[in-house]
Amino acid sequence: MRINWKKEAKFLPGYLIVGIWVLFTAVMIGWIFSASLSTSREIFTGTVLQFKSGIHFENYATAWNNQNVSVFFGNSLLYSTISCFGVLAVAAPAAYVLSRWNFAGSKTLRLGLVIAMSVPTIMIIMPLYSLTVAWGLKGRIVLILLYIMLRVPYTAIYLLDFFGTLSRSYEEAAYLDGCSPSNTFVKIMLPLVQPAVITVTIFNFLSVWNEFFMALIFTSSESMTPVGVGLLQIINAMKYTGNYGGLFAAVIIVFLPTFLLYIFMSEKIIAGVTGGGVKG
Amino acid sequence: MKKNKTMIFLFILPTILTLLITYVYPVIRTVVMSFFKVESLTSTTADWSFYGLSNYGKVLTSTTFLTSMQNMLLIWIVGGIITLALSMLMAVVLTSGIRGAKFFRAAIYMPNIISAVALATMWIQYIFNYDYGLLNNLVTALGLERVKWLGTDAKFWAMMGAFIFGSVGYYMLIFISGIEGIPADLYEAATLDGATKVDQFSKITLPLMKGIIKTTITFWSINATTFFLWSKMFSPIDTEASTIVPVIYLYDMVFGGKGVSVRDAGAGAAVGVLLTLIIIAIYAVMNLLLKDSDLEY
Repeated sequence: MRINWKKEAKFLPGYLIVGIWVLFTAVMIGWIFSASLSTSREIFTGTVLQFKSGIHFENYATAWNNQNVSVFFGNSLLYSTISCFGVLAVAAPAAYVLSRWNFAGSKTLRLGLVIAMSVPTIMIIMPLYSLTVAWGLKGRIVLILLYIMLRVPYTAIYLLDFFGTLSRSYEEAAYLDGCSPSNTFVKIMLPLVQPAVITVTIFNFLSVWNEFFMALIFTSSESMTPVGVGLLQIINAMKYTGNYGGLFAAVIIVFLPTFLLYIFMSEKIIAGVTGGGVKG
Repeated sequence: MKKNKTMIFLFILPTILTLLITYVYPVIRTVVMSFFKVESLTSTTADWSFYGLSNYGKVLTSTTFLTSMQNMLLIWIVGGIITLALSMLMAVVLTSGIRGAKFFRAAIYMPNIISAVALATMWIQYIFNYDYGLLNNLVTALGLERVKWLGTDAKFWAMMGAFIFGSVGYYMLIFISGIEGIPADLYEAATLDGATKVDQFSKITLPLMKGIIKTTITFWSINATTFFLWSKMFSPIDTEASTIVPVIYLYDMVFGGKGVSVRDAGAGAAVGVLLTLIIIAIYAVMNLLLKDSDLEY
């Protein structure tokens, strides 16, 4: 393709604006990555990109083993994956039923889900804390249950729209073939909204992986700490450890999973951001 | 298709229970708690004593709370104007027909995808670092004195800058989808009539995006009201007046923090209710403004 330079020159200010912004982002992440492979001394003398003393992969080993990043990472992976499945199990059947039938209270339930989506966390977090204490819930199960329940309204509303677009002839055919309604849901209807299920699951995963407020309040021991709170603990301990290479290695480890997910799924994620719910 | 009552009931039961346990009950309890003297969240309702509006009185006369509200207001207004203006600028540039728009769009949105704790750490430990940070390297390259970006004076603005950087991508995506929804022939006609790009933006894009701009203002307002993470990251151990926001105030009071000798869950609940009222007020105002701007095109 031939480039029309005259035409492109007109766009120069535009290229500069977005170019500088993206360059800044790249420099920041690039530097953090280089620093994660350098020593504290190199970081402070400003010789990060030169790797004079070699490439220090051991920073990653230190972060992973000595700074407990392995525990935080495992916990976050557990919270994100289990809650993704859990929230689907709770929200998908409700979304399906709500998209298909009107029944006593169905309008209230829809409205309730929409309102729940906009309830700020600070309004519910205190009684939820009391509840977990009163019920004697401890450890990882607390955050798993909370993450599932807090993602239900968004997931249900998102899937509801998609179930609503499916033709009723699928169910009619299944009914004539003697397929039970619940079987129809699992074997026919759910697979039909698979693209929506994938999108909503990506968003649930990102949201749980990056969640911080709940985690900070409900984390009572090292063994249940997810990455966000874990990283904060590492930073707070920096005064004593002084291991900057290890800190930046930890940052990269926390940053990498969602970043990689984004590299492969950016089109789907970007479409999902503006596709669901955001209307002028 | 036949209605199968048992199936409907079983299918919606878990969602109903979720709504009751995680939303209805907690919201009611928080509101009730804000009118009672409650020290600890773990105390039973038998230990609560009616307190009238005293919790609200305590909160609204607390200098710490007023400082936190002031910071929140600054984030809301100054941060809001800068973020939405930058997002709009990026959206206009990326829909103007430049090459690589898809790549730029994805790269600018990226900070929204990664852990905000990791992003904040990048800013605090690299960009704003006094000894080896990017900003001070630029400053010294220009022959100027190093700046204490994370000192008491500059910290709030440093926090706001980092927060804005992390937010622009999201609002940009919303603006882009708004601009893409405007029929291209409007711009073609305007170009034929000799309208400049600036004219087209102020006479076509802005008026037609009224609804979307209002949506983004609502989203921004909610984000500013519930601002917490960035403040916690910029003052991780001890809360500081320069970065405190209402949710931090609530957190310290309910879950313990510097300068809080006696925990006060009742006052914390009052803060929660006040912030929720602010959000409801914003919703109401935005809906009122939205009504008369339903344009058809």
